[in-house]
Amino acid sequence: MSSPFVQAMVAAAAAARLPGSGIAWLDAARRESLDAFAAAGLPPARGVEAWKYTALRTLEQRRYALGDAQAGARAVAPETWTLPGVDGPRMVFVNGTFRADLSALDALPAGLTLVPLSRALAEDAEPLRFFLTRMFRASGDAFARLNAALAADGAVLRVAAGARIAAPVHIVHVGAPTEAEIAWHARCLVELGEGAELSLVEHHAAAGAAPHFGNLLSDVVLRDRARLALTVLQDADAGATLFRRAEMRLGADATATLHALELGGALVRHEVHASLDGDRARFDTRGVFALRGRQHVDTRLSVEHRGRDTAGDALWRGIADERARGVFQGAIVVAPGADGADAKLSNKNLLLSPQAEIDTKPVLEIYADEVKAAHGATVGQLDERSLFYLRSRGIGAAEARSLLTYAFCRAALDSLSNAALAEHLGTRLLARLPIRGED
Amino acid sequence: MLKIENLHVRVAGKEILRGLSLEVNAGEVHAIMGPNGAGKSTLGNVLAGREGYEVTKGSVTYNGKNLLELEPEQRAAEGVFLAFQYPVEIPGVNNTYFLRAALNAQRKHRGESELDSMQFLKQVREKIKVMQISDELLHRAVNEGFSGGEKKRNEIFQMALLEPRLAILDETDSGLDIDALKQVAQGVNALRSPERAFIVVTHYQRLLDYIVPDFVHVLADGRIVESGDKTLALKLEEHGYAWVGERGAVAEARA
Amino acid sequence: MATERSDIEQQIRTAVPSGNASVDEALNRRYAAGFVTDIETESLPPGLSEDIVRALSALKHEPEWMTEWRLAAYRQWLTMTSPEWAKVKLGPIDFQAISYYAAPKKKPKSLDEVDPKLLETYEKLGVPLHERAKLAGVAVDVVFDSVSVATTAQQELAKAGVIFCSMSEAIRSHPELVRKYIGTVVPQGDNFFAALNSAVFSDGSFVFIPKGVRCPMELSTYFRINAGHTGQFERTLIIAEEGSHVSYLEGCTAPMRDENQLHAAVVELVALERAQIKYSTVQNWYPGDENGVGGIYNFVTKRGECRGDDSKICWTQVETGSAITWKYPSCVLRGDRSVGEFYSVALTHHYQQADTGTKMIHLGRNTKSKIVSKGISAGKSSNSYRGLVKVEKNAEGARNYTQCDSLLIGKQCGAHTFPYMEVKNPTAIVEHEATTSKISDDQMFYCRSRGIGEEDAVSMIVDGFCKQVFRELPMEFAVEAKKLLEVSLEGAVG
Repeated sequence: MSSPFVQAMVAAAAAARLPGSGIAWLDAARRESLDAFAAAGLPPARGVEAWKYTALRTLEQRRYALGDAQAGARAVAPETWTLPGVDGPRMVFVNGTFRADLSALDALPAGLTLVPLSRALAEDAEPLRFFLTRMFRASGDAFARLNAALAADGAVLRVAAGARIAAPVHIVHVGAPTEAEIAWHARCLVELGEGAELSLVEHHAAAGAAPHFGNLLSDVVLRDRARLALTVLQDADAGATLFRRAEMRLGADATATLHALELGGALVRHEVHASLDGDRARFDTRGVFALRGRQHVDTRLSVEHRGRDTAGDALWRGIADERARGVFQGAIVVAPGADGADAKLSNKNLLLSPQAEIDTKPVLEIYADEVKAAHGATVGQLDERSLFYLRSRGIGAAEARSLLTYAFCRAALDSLSNAALAEHLGTRLLARLPIRGED
Repeated sequence: MLKIENLHVRVAGKEILRGLSLEVNAGEVHAIMGPNGAGKSTLGNVLAGREGYEVTKGSVTYNGKNLLELEPEQRAAEGVFLAFQYPVEIPGVNNTYFLRAALNAQRKHRGESELDSMQFLKQVREKIKVMQISDELLHRAVNEGFSGGEKKRNEIFQMALLEPRLAILDETDSGLDIDALKQVAQGVNALRSPERAFIVVTHYQRLLDYIVPDFVHVLADGRIVESGDKTLALKLEEHGYAWVGERGAVAEARA
Repeated sequence: MATERSDIEQQIRTAVPSGNASVDEALNRRYAAGFVTDIETESLPPGLSEDIVRALSALKHEPEWMTEWRLAAYRQWLTMTSPEWAKVKLGPIDFQAISYYAAPKKKPKSLDEVDPKLLETYEKLGVPLHERAKLAGVAVDVVFDSVSVATTAQQELAKAGVIFCSMSEAIRSHPELVRKYIGTVVPQGDNFFAALNSAVFSDGSFVFIPKGVRCPMELSTYFRINAGHTGQFERTLIIAEEGSHVSYLEGCTAPMRDENQLHAAVVELVALERAQIKYSTVQNWYPGDENGVGGIYNFVTKRGECRGDDSKICWTQVETGSAITWKYPSCVLRGDRSVGEFYSVALTHHYQQADTGTKMIHLGRNTKSKIVSKGISAGKSSNSYRGLVKVEKNAEGARNYTQCDSLLIGKQCGAHTFPYMEVKNPTAIVEHEATTSKISDDQMFYCRSRGIGEEDAVSMIVDGFCKQVFRELPMEFAVEAKKLLEVSLEGAVG
């Protein structure tokens, strides 16, 4: 017996007319994905390790309409997306629909291709065939399957071999108020050619109350020697449900960095799966979630070291206040033969309220012996000695507390090379931190 | 005692020693000096039998035996001792226990009876005074949490206890302040004897003020380019290694 | 019982020749405890049904309530499935092919009547039985296959008011105590194997330390599986009343057989106010041969409850045996200021698989737990730490520190760490650190350049790696554990 959520999605799929329909291989892939989703539904409440800490019972009961027919006309102020230090090409989606009028895609730098998926499918779908026919057979990939069946738009971004794109590319997903609760599914493809360089900002924002269901699936491919600086700012509507999954593959000598700041959403799942295929590939990740209210944010990171002499350094921080629940699952996997891997993971969390909860599960799976692998995780409070030190220098208790809390989180943003953006993210973070007067 | 002839050694595919020859007799102290990258540490490691050092040409004879054929522990048992430039930490393994295991392994190899812990402790007490090592270091794990100076003194202490016939000191002076340097030198001098030979590898002349060598050799580009008595070290101090570099180039041209 | 493994594993096994002289040399070494004792045994026919459970209970002259308790467990077991989440690979187990009861035919009345062959067995195992036991100050309970054969030093313990006997005897002589506590820490339906054990457990040890008593000697049980086609399902229950102390040691061996034998034990510990229980295990069940044939499936549920305030339970385990180990000795920290500790060394070699760790459940205020786990993987083995630290809402001021280190020896083994931290109280501090490394070439060279041979250097470094855990073992066990590690590692390094 499938749940209302599944029923509504399957019914909507039958009625939907998606871009690119009529292309035989795409229709077949969408059909297969939908059938698999309909058959398996959402992960069950118990017994699935990947969903141990995120219950989908409430979601199961919700029926979302597919897409927003008026998305093209929703008013969205530029302040919604404006970010200091991010002034390159921009692609804006409102409720999952591409908005040419809000985007800035004129005069793209040489070597950069950036088109909406809907247009790419209409013009020449063939180059996307490899990505779009991927099947998500593994269990627990219900949302990826759903995305493969229903994605109506998204970004297709390519950087030519050797091209260095100086200005950061900004991809914005805006949730705008609608009459009904809607669901959108977006698919992004990012491919950096050999030696290409790119800085990319993925930005989730809200233009008013938008308790939508968003589902973003990204494939990111870095060819040999490519460099990607990826920053994610997630400040979706407080009522939003957001599932994001990025699958990354890195070639030899490729380097990727990820900085993620999670602020918004009611129920958020953020998955990053990276495979370091090439020798000397490197993937460093930094992330913070700062939660309050009844927010539930589940970050799932897995980095698989496959090439030789690969490296990864992960530093994640989390704060849960009020009745929020923060989940961090971070896995380092070193495949057989991946000698020389150097992998580190640190996850530290502050629990600020008796009703909040933090669950953390750092994992090491090691199949090679020439490795350096370590992880550490903590859940606790601010260091009393530091607090005392600040207070002994005349700083009030509440201020000392928020200062230390900020410093605790800010560590994850320190290495962001875009100084203006780092500054801005720091400010956004600070604004979210609780200022407590008691003591 | 030790005869090195035309030794060529490759490390990670790169030739580091390129025709080194050296003869050391019992009772002698040889200083090997040279600029960084000349192959000084390679020499010590090859003599002690570290893996990853490929001898492509030449020979090393030690007391009539082919040294290069022996496993590291056999060399130790034969009386070869390397004081490491960077002594490694071995967490959880008690320093005293480690030393007794080493000493007994060597004694066993030589057909001598193993020492029980009382006999061993007696020996330790004697040597510890000479090296001015604090008792507390003995109870810690091997080199774990030791300062740089403590590690180096621990190396010399081990040497005192194991009583090798050929001791190779690999940059034992590096990273030591003058007091620690004097202590180390004092420990070495106390061990000088007609039966024992030393190869003292160092970058600076300063150590040789305290351990006075019988011979000084200059190592450059993987071979000995100049040999002399202790005055050679002073000459080096005065002219610097650039002077040696020129000599190395000359030797290269001749070869 | 199934002896075949999955296809994948078969492939790996045939595809990877050792190609290593030292490893090959190890093939010739033998499991030191792998002899079979030729003693006549009586056993129930293989298979499991309500009738078998009843027959088993009747054979043991158990009271009605015990029979019913077993049947309730059996009925629950029928509704359950074998857990699959652990990182182990095993074929399906045919529970109808196992004999659930095997006992030496001749039942001894006192130690002097114990079959000399049996005593010889324990002598071979180095168990300090008989008078030697008393001299050594160790009271020994021996469980041979399914029944407890001898308990030494009973009188001396009785003087102190300590009850230390087999579970069968406890059910007969102290039914009120057994009935009060059995299943209160590990309920019948706790998990698949615990349910099975509850239905068919044959014997085990029972310990009761009365109020304020410091047990005058270390208590010790040796378990041995001797008969073929049997499983061993012992059940141990230790109760430490207010302010009492006890240290309990457990050792395990089994003969070499090329079938997989099942060992599904349950251990329950209850510590009342200010009581302290120290439970140490050296597990050396037959691990199977170097090709992964045979060996014990060791699926054990061990749990202690710090029921009273200021109580303490400490688990120390050295696990070198078994083809597959699946066990998580846990502490439920219910009393305020109660303390749980877990120290573990798990070594896997050849095709052994271990998925072991602990659970620390903080319920009381200012409870503390500490976890130190050292995993050593060699050969083609798989070694996982899996641990849960859970701080519930009311566990004000809870503290946990976890340290998990893995040491890899060779390129074909796996070392994994799966810690779970679930924290619901903002005054709690939970810390976890894990590292994975191999014995470094530098360490090996350093030892060898001081004259220490390769194998000695390895065992010295491994011993150093495990030091934190060995320190927690009673002296005689620490020596045994160290030797066991050396033997288990023979041929691991090339």
